[in-house]
Amino acid sequence: MSAHKPQPVAPAKPKCFGWLAEFDNEHDLMTAARKVRDSGYTKTDAYTPFAVHGIDEALGIKPTILPFIVLSFAFCGLFLAIGFQCWSNGYDYKYIISGKPFLSIPAFIPVTFETTVLFSTVSTFFAMWLLNRLPTYSNPLFANPKFDRVTQDRFFLHVDSRDKYYNRESVRELLSSTNPLSLEEVIEDSTPDKLPTVVWMGVATLIVGSLVPLTIVANMRAGKSELPRWHVFFDMDFQPKKKAQSISTLFTDNRSNRPQVEGTIARGQLVEQDPYYLGFDPSKQSSIEIPSAVKLVSAQDDPKADPKVESPKAPKLEGPVEDTKPAAESTEKPEAPSKEPVKVDKEKPAGKKKDTSKKAKAEPKGDDVKTADKPVEVKADGKKTVAEEKNPTATEEKKADAKKADAKKADAKKEEPAKDAPASSTKPADKAAPPTAVAPAAAGPNLPWLTDFPAEVSEEMLALGKAKFEITCSVCHGYAGAGDGLVHRRAEQLQQGYWLPPTSLHEQRIQDQAVGNLFYTISNGKGKMASYAAVLTPKERWAIVMYVRALQRSRNAKIEDVPVDQRAKLEEVKKAD
Amino acid sequence: MSSISISSNPREIDNTVDIPGRRAPLITGKQTLTSVTDLVCSVAENPQPTLWYVLFGFSLLTAIMFLTCIGYLILTGVGIWGNMNPVFWAWPIVNFVFWVGIGHAGTLISAILFLFRQNWRTSINRSAEAMTIFAVVCAAIFPGIHVGRAWLAFWLVPYPSLNLWMWPQFRSPLLWDVFAVGTYATTSLLFWYMGMVPDIATYRDRAKKPISRFIYGLLALGWSGSARHWMRYEKAYTLLAALAAPLVLSVHTVVSFDFAVSQLPGWHTTIFPPYFVAGAIFSGFAMVLTLLVPVRRIYKLENLITLRHLDNMNKIILATGSLVGLAYATEFFMAWYSMNNNEVFCFTNRAFGPYWWAYWTMVSCNVISPQLFWFKKFRTTPWMMFIVSIFVNIGMWFERFVITVTSLSRDFLPASWGYFRPTMYDGLMFFGSFGVFMTLFLLFCRFLPVIALSEIKWTMSVEAHRDAHLGGHGHDHH
Amino acid sequence: MTSQQIDSESIRLPQAWQGKAWLLLAVGLALVLASGFVFMVSGLEVRKIFWHSYLANFMYCMTFGIAAMFFVLISFLTRAGWNASIRRWAEIISMTIPWMGLLFIPILGLVITGQGLSLYEWNTTPQALVENHQPVVAEKVIYLNGTAFAIRAVICLVAWSAIVSYYYSLSRREDETGDVNLAIKRQLYSGPLVMFFALSVSMASFDWIMSLDGDWYSTAFGVYIFSGSMFGFFGLMIASLMTLQSHGKLNKYVNVEHFHDLSKFQFGFTMFWSYIAFSQMMLIWYANIPEETAWFKNRLVNGWEYLSYASIPIHFVIPFLGMMSHHVRRHRWGAFFFACWALVAHWLDITFMVMPNAGPVSAPLVIGHVLCGFGMFSIFCAMILQRAADVPLVALKDPRLPEGLSYANPIL
Repeated sequence: MSAHKPQPVAPAKPKCFGWLAEFDNEHDLMTAARKVRDSGYTKTDAYTPFAVHGIDEALGIKPTILPFIVLSFAFCGLFLAIGFQCWSNGYDYKYIISGKPFLSIPAFIPVTFETTVLFSTVSTFFAMWLLNRLPTYSNPLFANPKFDRVTQDRFFLHVDSRDKYYNRESVRELLSSTNPLSLEEVIEDSTPDKLPTVVWMGVATLIVGSLVPLTIVANMRAGKSELPRWHVFFDMDFQPKKKAQSISTLFTDNRSNRPQVEGTIARGQLVEQDPYYLGFDPSKQSSIEIPSAVKLVSAQDDPKADPKVESPKAPKLEGPVEDTKPAAESTEKPEAPSKEPVKVDKEKPAGKKKDTSKKAKAEPKGDDVKTADKPVEVKADGKKTVAEEKNPTATEEKKADAKKADAKKADAKKEEPAKDAPASSTKPADKAAPPTAVAPAAAGPNLPWLTDFPAEVSEEMLALGKAKFEITCSVCHGYAGAGDGLVHRRAEQLQQGYWLPPTSLHEQRIQDQAVGNLFYTISNGKGKMASYAAVLTPKERWAIVMYVRALQRSRNAKIEDVPVDQRAKLEEVKKAD
Repeated sequence: MSSISISSNPREIDNTVDIPGRRAPLITGKQTLTSVTDLVCSVAENPQPTLWYVLFGFSLLTAIMFLTCIGYLILTGVGIWGNMNPVFWAWPIVNFVFWVGIGHAGTLISAILFLFRQNWRTSINRSAEAMTIFAVVCAAIFPGIHVGRAWLAFWLVPYPSLNLWMWPQFRSPLLWDVFAVGTYATTSLLFWYMGMVPDIATYRDRAKKPISRFIYGLLALGWSGSARHWMRYEKAYTLLAALAAPLVLSVHTVVSFDFAVSQLPGWHTTIFPPYFVAGAIFSGFAMVLTLLVPVRRIYKLENLITLRHLDNMNKIILATGSLVGLAYATEFFMAWYSMNNNEVFCFTNRAFGPYWWAYWTMVSCNVISPQLFWFKKFRTTPWMMFIVSIFVNIGMWFERFVITVTSLSRDFLPASWGYFRPTMYDGLMFFGSFGVFMTLFLLFCRFLPVIALSEIKWTMSVEAHRDAHLGGHGHDHH
Repeated sequence: MTSQQIDSESIRLPQAWQGKAWLLLAVGLALVLASGFVFMVSGLEVRKIFWHSYLANFMYCMTFGIAAMFFVLISFLTRAGWNASIRRWAEIISMTIPWMGLLFIPILGLVITGQGLSLYEWNTTPQALVENHQPVVAEKVIYLNGTAFAIRAVICLVAWSAIVSYYYSLSRREDETGDVNLAIKRQLYSGPLVMFFALSVSMASFDWIMSLDGDWYSTAFGVYIFSGSMFGFFGLMIASLMTLQSHGKLNKYVNVEHFHDLSKFQFGFTMFWSYIAFSQMMLIWYANIPEETAWFKNRLVNGWEYLSYASIPIHFVIPFLGMMSHHVRRHRWGAFFFACWALVAHWLDITFMVMPNAGPVSAPLVIGHVLCGFGMFSIFCAMILQRAADVPLVALKDPRLPEGLSYANPIL
């Protein structure tokens, strides 16, 4: 590099490298080059500011082997890529992705192509410099200041003294005959061609220095350390949040998860708070029972302190269908007065929708009890126990085992849960209802049911209700709601002994139920009836309730219910009878 | 040309008219080898204009802001962006595709136009290649920081890890991207640098200060202009061009695969590969115009980057813009023709759904605004084409936005539909990437040859040769 | 105009060749009929197979004309000079479009009268489609019906015929006047016409080939047809120009540089075709949506799988590796070999697109289809000969001719 700087060094006898002729256009250069070639010189070269086409031929330069080098690298890349992909994805690390076979040739093509091109381009670049013997920072030609213009606007022709026909004088004559701008001898570059110490020391330091972090990392990855890890990204390891069930010193009750604030609804939980979606008014629950939150807090304070609180809670929570959301929410605390209720507690939130968790929980219990479950017993039980009814989705396909287990569990607890009357109208299953159970005949969870429709009663809604009733309800309950749907009739026909007939909607018990209760039943299921919340929107459910009411009314209508202008017609029919 | 006569710039010479049989000259003003060298070298040798310092300061600040944002992102997490369910791919991917698209023009000009013997490319290829590399740098940043744990981004490389015992999944299109962009960045860099070596040698030989002579000398690798070197160099250049031409197509194709292999309506369509490539060329040329119109003016290079070059680029913009429009139309038609409800919905939703504004911005910028280039007045008036090129840039960003966000925000489950809103950091980081881009480009103008000197000299020689033979004026524009 | 003497002998076909055109036409028609006969005696579903074979071979020849039209348009759009001496030949090939249009009339007639069910599965009533479990196709009846199809086809054919005739007539007028404005005029219109070309070719490929499967769709199909056509067209150019030269024509006007350039284009379009074909296949394969994969599924059963897999080496690997070196591209026999290869490969490609709809591979089907192919190609050659017989094969007064004759590819 310093080679470019002609420095005033006085060499004793500079070595000569032949003659250098200067031209100012490529045509003169070409002419001269042909002349030199025809004179038999081979160690010649032209130097030009751009690629002069035809100069190769004029100088007798042979084509390069570069394309073959590139082609061989291209094939290396090709086979390496395809082979590596097949080996790594098809053999060494089999992993299903996108449902594709392990050996997916079409999916390997893009990477194969890219790798082939990468190998080719990189090899083109480096092979070209290599074949050109570049980089070289020392070149005798650079010693001539005139030669600086070779990269700008001058053309040079060089005949090397190492040519076997070289003769100083005859070459000079030959070149002068081509009318060059100038003709000079190439003198050995007298400047030092070694890198200045500062430069190479600096580069070496940089290289060594850059290796230090790499070495440290490599060492740490390979070795073992007793020290705790570094938390580089502190906020990812320690996030400013409280995990559930951890202790907080911020609140007096030391709990990190907070009960719901009175009179508010959490975002997205309107569905769990609004009577329209529930069928009852949660805000009025306090008028019926002690608010769950109070129970919970007091239970936490001292589990045994307040039996008065305890007792209503337990049965209520035991109650299969009645475990309501609000209660469920507040019962997530692990601390609880006694073992049994707690168990049930914990099941509550899930139990409402998922029978599986229930089942899983129940099975070990059943094992514990180790009672020989007779099918008959189960059958009998099944009609009245909580177990079945607790899980709205516990239909026929549910394993008998689970049912038994549930039944056993319920029995074992001696919390006779029959307060929740089975949906079946055929068996008057009500056994001694616990005192706390609200006990109207049509027992259900004791909740402040809505008694008025929260939606407008209209022709349109009734039509919707009819349509939806006929789609979803009539298969069991029958088109008129008499409990004689096709499924029922079929079961009778097959004389299925364990078939639980669907409820007739015209039973007094059902007629007495509040509309909210009916809605609740559709939403959450009851007994063997599954929840229909997934297929019916709340509006549709209310519409069905309306339609059910209309059906019931149709059997108990008085003459006053008939529009005045129609009464006469009715009278006529009556007479005709 | 009327547009020329009213121009106050004396260097603005119209060489766009080309009578069949007589080629108009590619560069104007009776240039010689010496004058061309002086002209190009003056860009780096003369003191930079004040405007350069102003722009550089501003760009540098923006770039620093960008780096700060990246630091904040890495320390905090991708939550600072607006990405959310269901639009998990939002601005970062949009920006990635946008920048990669821009990065297509450089290699296209140096490789494909080279193979088509379009010699007019010699005036613009160097700066376009530089732009390509800087755009690819910007592009690579976004997926790099989008991976979440950016410090583990090297897991994308198939290296034998003693800790993981795993290999990347080559059946995943996202990994294809790593290879495509990696190969493209490498190849573009080699191509750019190789093309620059003879010109750096010119800078070296003209340098006055020892330090610049030293550094340019180092970079020039001892280039002497030997005919043997030139021969291999030209061969290598041709080979690189032949390799880069399919490569440049493949890169945006692979980017389009990221979308098109999915089953998402609006993403899964077979025209995506050619359509993305056309879009990339389109946006790339627009960005070249956006940069070169001011550059030629500031550095007084109007004789080298002539109206003819601009005119040709505008024609390419018009052609690719119309192709993109044709692809939009085909997609719409095919959505209907497929009778696939999801497709029909997706495309109706694009045009008339919540993102209608983005869609119509895209259409007006990408399809309608380039139609102005049917008029020669627009093709040959620098400020007009500058404005159109800005519109095209905007439109092409919106195209990626429309593709990414509208399809994601309305997926198969209406329950998970959403509406994407960017945060401040989305905006700052997109803006910041321009800072990086401009900083690099300004440094390039300051220190490296902005025009491929040796190639333009070769073109001059070829033109002179042809003029002598055919009696025309310049030559060789196919 | 400086260097070359006008050599009327070498740029005109002998008058006798015009008679050969009629002979070729007769042979071609006979072969097409013979193919029908083969299908008939074979006991196959004759109507179905015959019309599929007819359509495939029609498209094979038609795409040459379409590609030639594109070549002429793009030459003017880019003001190309290198191909000035071979552009007339491309114009002559493009002038087959109006006549090829006549060969489309049987299909149009079939479709308009609603008899085309054996070819286009949508060509029946919506009720029948629904009954035939194709409700999706029935939904598209507003687009896919005989009348609309015919209107679109006629628009395309008439417009293309008008374009090529206009360009051809200006080119012929230039022969007499040498007026530069004629070239400028063609340059001016080439831009919008290329746009129209893109649109109409997409539409035609959707209509004519893609809609054979009424419920299949691929947005890239137009590009796919285009890329294959260009590949075949460059093969045709090289093969036909070399054939002319072997009869002592054009030797002064078409040299190795032109063949090198054409060969490079052919090489480029091998890659472009592979790129489009691979992208289309890969995207459909990867997404794995049943209504899309059905098309490829059809092509991987009933014996068609051999053709499908063979098209990878035939259409890509062999021409790609073979034509990579410029030694091959500049070598007379090398270039000629791969040009003929392209003609076969393009025919197989079109067969791959159309014929699997006709039924499983069987010997009579293959024989008949090949016969029909030879017949159609003979008719196509007759059209070219008929046109070429009385015009100069080089546009001698083309202003860019000197440039076209003086260019030399750099050989590095």
